[in-house]
Amino acid sequence: MNKNIRNLFMLIASSLLPFSCAEKENINLETENFTSIFDSNSFITEYLPIDIQQTPDGGYLILAERSLDSTEVTGAYLMKADKFGNFVQAMELGDTVINPIGPLNVIDGQYHFFCMSSSNEDYSQAKLATIDANLSAITIQNAGGLTYPEASSVVDNKLLLLTYNNGDKTSVVSEVTTGGTVTELAAYTVGVGEDSEDPIIEHHLKEGRQFPFAVGRTSTNTYYYNGFYEYNFSVVFVNPGADDPQGVVQGQSDHGGFSSIVPISGNKFAASRFNFGDNYLLPNTVLDPGDFSTSPDKGGIFSPELVEDARVKIHRAIVGTQNILIYGSDTRSKQIGLFYYDEATGTFLGSRYIGFSNPFQVAAMGNTSDGGIIVCGTTYLAGRFPRICLTKLSKEEIESDIK
Amino acid sequence: MKKLYLVLLCAMLMVGVCHAQSKNNKKKKSSAAYNKQNKENEIFLEKQFWLGVKGGITLTKPSVQKTYTVVSPTNYNASGKKYESFKQVGGQLALEVAFYFKGISISFQPTYQSSNFSYSNTYSWSSTADDVLYSTELMYEQDQKLEHLLLPFVAKYEFTGNKLRPYFQAGFYQGILLNATKSVIISGVDQGAGGTNEFKNEPVIVGAKDLFAKYYWGLIGGAGVYYNLGNVRLNLDVQYRYGMSNITSVENRYSNSQLMGIGDVMDDLHMDNLAIAVGCLFPMRFLQSGFKSLDRK
Repeated sequence: MNKNIRNLFMLIASSLLPFSCAEKENINLETENFTSIFDSNSFITEYLPIDIQQTPDGGYLILAERSLDSTEVTGAYLMKADKFGNFVQAMELGDTVINPIGPLNVIDGQYHFFCMSSSNEDYSQAKLATIDANLSAITIQNAGGLTYPEASSVVDNKLLLLTYNNGDKTSVVSEVTTGGTVTELAAYTVGVGEDSEDPIIEHHLKEGRQFPFAVGRTSTNTYYYNGFYEYNFSVVFVNPGADDPQGVVQGQSDHGGFSSIVPISGNKFAASRFNFGDNYLLPNTVLDPGDFSTSPDKGGIFSPELVEDARVKIHRAIVGTQNILIYGSDTRSKQIGLFYYDEATGTFLGSRYIGFSNPFQVAAMGNTSDGGIIVCGTTYLAGRFPRICLTKLSKEEIESDIK
Repeated sequence: MKKLYLVLLCAMLMVGVCHAQSKNNKKKKSSAAYNKQNKENEIFLEKQFWLGVKGGITLTKPSVQKTYTVVSPTNYNASGKKYESFKQVGGQLALEVAFYFKGISISFQPTYQSSNFSYSNTYSWSSTADDVLYSTELMYEQDQKLEHLLLPFVAKYEFTGNKLRPYFQAGFYQGILLNATKSVIISGVDQGAGGTNEFKNEPVIVGAKDLFAKYYWGLIGGAGVYYNLGNVRLNLDVQYRYGMSNITSVENRYSNSQLMGIGDVMDDLHMDNLAIAVGCLFPMRFLQSGFKSLDRK
């Protein structure tokens, strides 16, 4: 009998062991990995994100466009989410400033972005908006008479800005201080004749194709922009103070050119290009600033799964000890496709797809303080209402994606 | 708190068995005067191993411990998920091995359990433009079907009786996830196309094993009755299985992109089951002797 009882209790005791495997709450997991869709109950208002930045409190600041009544141009919408991806608060800028452009440039803990005036007296004037991480105070100032802002970036604690001057019909690259002081670096013609600016004006009025304008500086201090030059959507290497650029990778009118460009080191870039609807990824390409060439010369990985003339976002990240490039783009299956490449060699490492059922489109990506990635995009709730969505991927998830 | 429950359960089992043992010792002394047949009968009654099977239905009640949502409202209050309790019928099939000792049984009952429960959430969008109301309302009905292998240990106290022997039972169980699926049906009313359009889509069914915890555990309480028929015991058994740990996988909560895409994420849930079963038990001793066990006059 005693033996039976002993065996019985041994059986019970051994059965208790798996209790240690029961699910336990892990607050870290809730910040490492989540998906959020920020919904408004409005049938007609649309929200289209532009950029995202993680704030010092672990939350996220999102810059977005919002639809306005009776016009195609868009208003500015700022939103704060906490570190779990929950909505905290939002701010809608009035209708007097329109067409915000990314990215959210971070200088000294402040977030800067450009938009455009819509008032009659200074329509198309570039405006510099500055806000803190908690959306508690915003300032909007003129950006020195520049018009039609197209792209920006941060260089040496100053803002680099690409604008369009429709008086001179030039693409203008300028440095702008956070106080709004402007130093023009270069201005290059987009071509003569009224037709030459049609796609540009249609872009700014949101009535035509939205072009992937970009501006930046390489590690060798060469300024470049991705925009219009001499009738073509081209990568232009700026020659400050000179009438002509150093070099150009010429696109094909507004039907071919680069859809994204990120300098890696020296003359090495990660880029992508579009050509009459087709898409090509160039995770390891060399663009000589002194050369004149055409974008089809650059080849690239043909990517038929992307939508025509796809928006492509390139993000640099470190996984373990490996520098990687993450290409985010919109697939024909209406998902966000993430494609991982080795930064050093351009070797394909893996992929991930975000979204199902409702369409998903990429807007921006960012590194997070825990080593993960935040992907910001647009989803269409009920298949029709454009809303901001966030997908937070943990470091472990990205590592598992990489072969 | 959970550890305390376990300690209490173990203590209860130990006290029950020891109490029965002490009673047994006393009885042994007083039974010396009986003849051999009576001794055999008494031994049969005092301790016996039983082996049996039972099967039946389960009704499930999910209890939300913490709510998670994919859709985060910016200008309205979320309606939240509405869970249904004890509405959908699942099934169970169990093997039972029991050691009976003077009124108290210790029973091990490996059980296949299927549990079904559902919840729904509703979203609506509306605006008025040019005096025309535009609106869309969507309802997502989410059905979960979970299959677990349960490893329950139960102590039963039987009341004295001849043919009918009612009992109470208490114990605990460990659940091991075998399989899980989710199906989502989207229905709604759309007034965005110039008229009122009511629709209901075909269900989207996805494998969801990764979304649920591999293990969970809980406590058991219940009652039942034995009907002794020759050497066989017929059994009607009712158990309430009270879930004590999360059945949702914390790690994989957001891992299913299909469900993310339609705005669904699992809450932290405890799962209770009301389990009703019928079965039969066979004695493992004296089977060869033609011995009539507990239905003797």
